Amino acid sequence: MDLRFTEEQEILRQTARGFLAAECPKTLVRELEQSEKGYSPELWKKMAELGWMGLIIPEEYGGIGYTFQDLTVLLEEIGRNILPGPFVATTTSTFPILEAGTEEQKKGLLPEIAQGDLILTTALLESDGVFDASGIAIKAAPKGDAFIIDGTKLFVDMAHVAGHIICVTRTKEGTAPEKGITLFIVDSATAGISCQVMPTTSQDKLCEVRFENVNVPKKNVLGTIDEGWAIVEMMLRKGAIARCAESIGAIQTCVEMTVAYAKERVQYERPVGAFQALQHIMADMWTAMETSRYLVYEAAWMESNGLPCTKEASMAKAYVNEVYRNVSKWAVRLHGAIATSNDHDIPLYYRRSKAADTAFGSTDFHREIVARQIGLV
Amino acid sequence: MDFSLTDEQKSRSREFYDTCKDLSKKRPPSLVGFEAIYELDECWEYNMYCAKEFAKKGWLALGWPSEYGGSGDMMNRVLFAEARGYYGTPGVDIFGVQMLAPTLLQAASEEIKREFLPPIARGEVMWCELWSEPNAGSDLAALAATAVRKGDEYVINGQKTWNTGAHRAHWGFGVFKTDPAARKHHNMTFLLLDMKTPGITIRPIPYLDGSAPYCEVYFDDVRVPAKNIVGQEHEGWAVVNLLAGFERSGINEIMSMMRGLEQLVAFCNETKRHGQPLAKDPLVRNRLAQLACELAAARALAYRVADLQNRNEMSLMDASAGKIFFSELGERFAFMAGDILGPYGQVRTSRWAPLNGIWEKMFHEHFITTISMGTNEIQRNIIAWYGLGLPRMR
Repeated sequence: MDLRFTEEQEILRQTARGFLAAECPKTLVRELEQSEKGYSPELWKKMAELGWMGLIIPEEYGGIGYTFQDLTVLLEEIGRNILPGPFVATTTSTFPILEAGTEEQKKGLLPEIAQGDLILTTALLESDGVFDASGIAIKAAPKGDAFIIDGTKLFVDMAHVAGHIICVTRTKEGTAPEKGITLFIVDSATAGISCQVMPTTSQDKLCEVRFENVNVPKKNVLGTIDEGWAIVEMMLRKGAIARCAESIGAIQTCVEMTVAYAKERVQYERPVGAFQALQHIMADMWTAMETSRYLVYEAAWMESNGLPCTKEASMAKAYVNEVYRNVSKWAVRLHGAIATSNDHDIPLYYRRSKAADTAFGSTDFHREIVARQIGLV
Repeated sequence: MDFSLTDEQKSRSREFYDTCKDLSKKRPPSLVGFEAIYELDECWEYNMYCAKEFAKKGWLALGWPSEYGGSGDMMNRVLFAEARGYYGTPGVDIFGVQMLAPTLLQAASEEIKREFLPPIARGEVMWCELWSEPNAGSDLAALAATAVRKGDEYVINGQKTWNTGAHRAHWGFGVFKTDPAARKHHNMTFLLLDMKTPGITIRPIPYLDGSAPYCEVYFDDVRVPAKNIVGQEHEGWAVVNLLAGFERSGINEIMSMMRGLEQLVAFCNETKRHGQPLAKDPLVRNRLAQLACELAAARALAYRVADLQNRNEMSLMDASAGKIFFSELGERFAFMAGDILGPYGQVRTSRWAPLNGIWEKMFHEHFITTISMGTNEIQRNIIAWYGLGLPRMR
């Protein structure tokens, strides 16, 4: 047991921290929230040059072949700065291709992703808004050498700028909802696809994607026909840990900003941070952060080493969802009225806690997984 | 970053678990909760029995230097604490083995180490802590009991309180004011004393559940050999701080809660309410799952603290955070389990009580960890002042 970052991870962390501090000021974050794209193509290109998009892609496909845990180290830094854009969408959608893609699919997509030339996302949720297989109703019907996808997906992260969309469809009506799910890699330029950005709390460009009789060649099936749910579960698990790592970074910023402000802000002739009423809340914020941190690191370590971690990933997500919301709420309250102004940086973090909370499974969704995992019948 | 155990650690851990499981066969059914060992004779005997069994294997001296009979390292100690926590096995004296021994190893003279460490390692001598006073709780430095040097002895007068198991302990360690004229923190001395010394009167305090594991200890001209000193004369505060750092990491309590959760899950699977297993109730599922998440978080943080200690690094903040978190988790767990048990949650150990009445016991016992070892409010001050650098209260 050694819970320190490796030297390589420390370098990645320092590089990312310096880069993001210089390249991703809050003025840019605000600008991107209001922009149509929701990300900066110039910054995206620079991130690709640093090797970030290819971080988890093996060298033979143009990446640098780092581990999942290394990715979470980077995501923590991204979360500190709440860098907007399709990084999480792209990396979490890369995993299904890495694990279930054919050689042709890998060769065709991975080098482009690593170069920063291809943004990827996954279309999972539908009108039910649930993360289990029962929510998948959109049909993909075989027709000759292709499938016809028809229906609507919702909450698709950055779909409006994605080059390809992994679409989770139903190809067979069975007894169990998990049976008969098939994934397709769909070129978003295909005729019949339209996309609309949904107005959300975090203004993070979640989209409604409509598939109207979209023709997808059979060779674009990702994994095995009707057996796609296992890939979705893998992606939800990795995505949950990834978003947790990002949240840890954001939580840390909330704590740091609040403590710094409490030392500065003077009322009753002393810094407000001298009052125990506030000190104890800040101590609780810090404690919540540390308990979350090692829970997430443990899940990331297990995932990275191929250990079964369905329980640990869900525990981390269910727990961190609440901690991020709570800590960012307290960050607003301890700053006082000033942090309810949208000109302040803290609300950026508070609003994003809502996006972090629903992405890759809400608190109660993950708690139900934990309930089964701890042996409740 | 690596959370894994080495093969050697894994086999050691199995050995710890197997031994504790084995010892649990002789466990008296009346031993419910953490403090019952001090309460009933049969439980105290079982505590002493477990201590002797552990001593035979050298496990009371884990992490000590070999010259004092020690073996293994800090990680072994953590793994041992896990196994004991899981089975609720007593036998490792919190005061002697966990707190005093590491303090002596760092701060005591060679003579003291040679005299007091071997009986601890043999599981023969049990200790109590003589710190708090009626007017010195969290503000321990405000203590008033005095030890006046007379020749080769100190003569102690005054009162200590909240002394866990003082009526059972063979020896006690405490701090007493030795230089009333000196400034705070430089006026007290850390002494070791035989609890059978004439002039000591011990009175159990009735605890809120009707038991009496804690005592008041009165000193009336109690004569203690001057050589029984740890650290420098008048500099006992430094020893107190050192010892406080060796108080429990929480891994023992956390594993005890893990077992408690497993038992509660089994209970919910087996017990029918409204014609179906309690486990099918979505509210019960959600609450137990939430608790499982918090327990996992507590354990991950305890590993972080252990990992730091293994490298002789220590984050005061993480230790305080861990203590706050696992102790308040204990409260939440006790209340939640009581809710799930419904009217049975109030039944003390008896034929009506589910799970041998452990959750009724915990309704009272959770206060142990939130109040002792520095109240959680003091822990929050530590994080705020020493960790976050916020201005100190004046």
